[in-house]
Amino acid sequence: MNDIQFPVSDYMPSSCIPEGPIEQKWTKYKREAKLINPNNRRKYTVLIVGTGLAGGSAAATLAELGYNVKCFCYQDSPRRAHSIAAQGGINAAHNYQNDGDSVYRLFYDTVKGGDFRAREANVYRLAEVSANIINQCVAQGVPFGREYGGLLDNRSFGGAQLKRTFYSRGQTGQQLLLGAYQAMEKEIGKGHIEMHPRTEMMDLVVVDGHAKGIVVRDLVTGEIKSYAGDTVLLATGGYGRVFYLSTNAMGCNVGAACACWKKGAYFANPCFTQIHPTCIPVKGDYQSKLTLMSESLRNDGRIWVPKSREVAEKIRKGQMKPSDVAEGDRDYYLERKYPSFGNLAPRDISSRAAKEACDDERGVAVTGRGVFLDFKDAIARMGKEWIDGQYGNLFDMYEEITDVDPHEQPMMIYPASHYTMGGLWVDYNLQSSIPGLHVLGEANFSDHGANRLGASALMQGLSDGYFVISSTLPTYLTTIKPGSVTTAAPEFKEAEDAVKARIQKMMDVKGTKTPDEIHRELGKLIWEDVGMGRTKESLMDAIEKIPAIREEFWNNVKIVGSTEGINAELEKAWRVAAFLDFAQVLCYDALAREESCGAHFRLEHQLDDGEAKRDDEHFAYVACWEYKGADQLPVLHKEPLTFENVHLAIRSYK
Amino acid sequence: MNDIITTACKFVTSSIGRKIIVALTGSCLLLFLVGHLAGNMTIYGGCPAQGEPSWIDAYATGLHSMPVWLLMSIRLGLLLILLIHVCFTLVLKWENYHARTHYQKEGTMKATLSSRTMVLTGIMIFCFLCWHLWQLTFNGDPHDCYNHVIAAFRNGWCSLFYIVALCCLFMHVRHGVQSVFQTFGLNTRKVRPLYNIVAVLFGVVICGAFISIPVAVLTGILH
Amino acid sequence: MANLNLTLKVWRQENAQAQGRIETYKATGIPEEASFLEMLDIVNEGLVHEGKEPIHFDHDCREGICGMCSLTINGVPHGGKHVTTCQLHMRQFKDGDTIWIEPFRAKAFPLLRDLMVDRSALDKIIAAGGFVDIRTGSAPNANNVPVRKKTADAAFDAAACIGCGACVASCKNSSAMLFTSAKAAHLNLLPQGQPEKNKRVLAMVRQMDAMGFGNCTNQYECEAACPKGITVDNIAKLNRDYMIACASEAVGVFS
Repeated sequence: MNDIQFPVSDYMPSSCIPEGPIEQKWTKYKREAKLINPNNRRKYTVLIVGTGLAGGSAAATLAELGYNVKCFCYQDSPRRAHSIAAQGGINAAHNYQNDGDSVYRLFYDTVKGGDFRAREANVYRLAEVSANIINQCVAQGVPFGREYGGLLDNRSFGGAQLKRTFYSRGQTGQQLLLGAYQAMEKEIGKGHIEMHPRTEMMDLVVVDGHAKGIVVRDLVTGEIKSYAGDTVLLATGGYGRVFYLSTNAMGCNVGAACACWKKGAYFANPCFTQIHPTCIPVKGDYQSKLTLMSESLRNDGRIWVPKSREVAEKIRKGQMKPSDVAEGDRDYYLERKYPSFGNLAPRDISSRAAKEACDDERGVAVTGRGVFLDFKDAIARMGKEWIDGQYGNLFDMYEEITDVDPHEQPMMIYPASHYTMGGLWVDYNLQSSIPGLHVLGEANFSDHGANRLGASALMQGLSDGYFVISSTLPTYLTTIKPGSVTTAAPEFKEAEDAVKARIQKMMDVKGTKTPDEIHRELGKLIWEDVGMGRTKESLMDAIEKIPAIREEFWNNVKIVGSTEGINAELEKAWRVAAFLDFAQVLCYDALAREESCGAHFRLEHQLDDGEAKRDDEHFAYVACWEYKGADQLPVLHKEPLTFENVHLAIRSYK
Repeated sequence: MNDIITTACKFVTSSIGRKIIVALTGSCLLLFLVGHLAGNMTIYGGCPAQGEPSWIDAYATGLHSMPVWLLMSIRLGLLLILLIHVCFTLVLKWENYHARTHYQKEGTMKATLSSRTMVLTGIMIFCFLCWHLWQLTFNGDPHDCYNHVIAAFRNGWCSLFYIVALCCLFMHVRHGVQSVFQTFGLNTRKVRPLYNIVAVLFGVVICGAFISIPVAVLTGILH
Repeated sequence: MANLNLTLKVWRQENAQAQGRIETYKATGIPEEASFLEMLDIVNEGLVHEGKEPIHFDHDCREGICGMCSLTINGVPHGGKHVTTCQLHMRQFKDGDTIWIEPFRAKAFPLLRDLMVDRSALDKIIAAGGFVDIRTGSAPNANNVPVRKKTADAAFDAAACIGCGACVASCKNSSAMLFTSAKAAHLNLLPQGQPEKNKRVLAMVRQMDAMGFGNCTNQYECEAACPKGITVDNIAKLNRDYMIACASEAVGVFS
């Protein structure tokens, strides 16, 4: 096995962090930021790709300000972006509970939760605007949970010792997205936003080094079109479906981000992928998607697998009921390994422990990849009614999907890919390394470091869209002349032709494997080798095998139908091709980061108790990867992370 | 003034506005039914065949002794209400038909038979109404109303037609009554079962009482 | 765990202009635990391998919240089990069943391909008035206006609508009253929605009428088909609010 020597560059674009104490950076930035006269704003065209929390809120806000906004999404309506599926809640430092919350505490918890791999200034700004997000959403009519006195209620969430999470039952993401969507529709109705649903971004157009437009495919007619603008805002979400099976929507993909990466935007920390421990396990090969069960279940459920492989096998074959396994034959492995934290061990640790138990052939579920989450003791202790009051809807949902009553038999769970902290590199202005290309929400890398805390994703998406981009966008726009580039520029024709050629190349393969089959193959490989526990061997294995799968795709993919009109197979194939290009850099990053931090766990680097062993001396940086061509190694740029306001410590929740 | 006219125009062309008009006229017709029934029930008072003074003859005579202008305006008013009810319903039905593309396999979950047959029962009731007006309102001497009614219902076919038509009326009213509450915005999940009971009871009482007359004639209770 | 063998009667139509028809497919060896859409995935994979065009249908989150999936199964949108099609599981069917699969049908939902329809008419209703017109950044502190818990809960119940359009597809008149009324009720109930209440109601109802939806005849099929339990109480409220709004617009009362 050869070591890969990644080319490292000394060059790193400035992160543009304002000077001064951290509490004053954002205030100072806003005070000094450039402004654009309201009458001139309409001269600027802003292209926004994606209509989730980040894209939708940005579109609404910028249109209100008077910019000429054009917005694109692959779904049939902006309301369907996958932000809608977020369940738990949204954090904000309002301190309505009087339990000592503050901007600093939210900032500190987020940096610590991210295992000290996030940029301090960005996180502080996020914490600072968090309260405004709640104000904004309430004014929009988002029905947050309330107390009898009529004021807002809060719940507690992982990684925090106080109650700062605002929620709308188990559908917080849906309600927040509908708020942003309604604000968008308001502007669409007024003619300030031109909305293009069922339109997928295929490529970024760069003119004289600046992002000036996008090439899209109209998913209804199949037409390849271009749109020119003064700036492009990418809010296309994460790349969790590189694992094929994930909690993401079927359409979520890395295509747009990957296209920008190929055009020169740096991809930062791609190896930071979050695996959520409590999802319903895989049932069979036909499985398309994994469903998340709220993490809160671990408060009262006990996680176990049988002590012996024989018993596990009997359960897998259906010869024995889980409830019949004697107490002495059960291995409550989290309680055994982590006596102080037990079943409430952090996400990454419980995910990995489940994998270890299954690797030991003691897993349950038909596939052998599952562990039990048992409520027997909690029901005996607190009664069925109490349990139903706490988790009734989750129990119903579980029964709906699996046809097993969790009151009678333990739930089966297994970890699944959920969120990606990595993304395109952005500076304090949310601008990528390509001038004019701004990246918002999950698509950028900025605020969560190596691990995202629960209820922080919604906060980041809305912070970027409602409050940050509106202030930082003029910084770029004032440096350019509005409307200077139109689709008549030769770069547009070039990009369009390249997209058409790539599509034609795919269509012409006429092989034997469907895009889904190849995607499944890739997903399985990434899951096995770059999943919860990574080693040098596993990463090298993946790095070796990915080109073979890519080869297979370009020589053996079968896309029926034509390029005209609706063609779901072509859409899938296009997205799989991007995942295949991207998967390589994910592995490179995981290989180059010779430490364990947050969700990135290298088995070689762990403390005696199994905790992640960080290496701040060598790896306290953002790894930014620059694309250099399909057969070339990407170049590594490093943005050093300095921590002036938090103390670098071993992340311990004991 | 302009605002009023503009809004009124928009109201009578909007989906909800027209539904409200249908519900309003329907309610008037329901009230008429109650009044009509009260009058009809006088047939059980006094049997001229046994030499008693007939209540219904007195009632009919009384109606006809109203000033002509009053009688005609009530009749025209009712006619107008009926026409509005019918016309608006037909227009809505026409629109609804054209708003839909049809399934190869149709499925129904909750819609009651009566709600799905409103137009059919409505047309049936309208035909019945024409016959009924011709037979019992515009023909016959009000002073001899009782015998006229008995004579008409001795004919089995005529009675059967009345009974069938009144069953249609029941179906129509059963959906109509609870629908009125919904259209006027008085419905909530809590009271909905109550409205359903009211609708069925109203239909049973009204239509049952109407039907009782031909049945009573056929069975010889009235003679 | 049993496998099912089914006969599918599926609506196929190449594009908006083409003549549609029902085609029959055999779905064999379908695992009972598969979801309805996974069943179609399996059938589609078979079709692609045979070199035939797969059955096109809309879907995205596959966890019952995005509202993109939209099949009418045996004449009932989403199959009538109070879940979305993506959450419908094959154990609800029996071996040997024949299943009719058609698109959500309504004139206001033009067909795009096979089982995919264009539901942008619903977005246009929201664009007409389904919002609170406040600018980003101008909001007062979130706790400045207390909202009764009961009111907030009722608003949430209405706001739970996922905009899938099953109400329209199930309605014998293709009326969009349940969708429109749910959004209007959500905002009209809350204090934040009061200033624009009358304006909102008029704008949304007029837009709804303009989009070519049918008229509500109080049959409540929509409520039965709704995967999110939105009740027709919202329609009653919209009727009420509409009368008030008209009175306000015409003569200035209740304004």
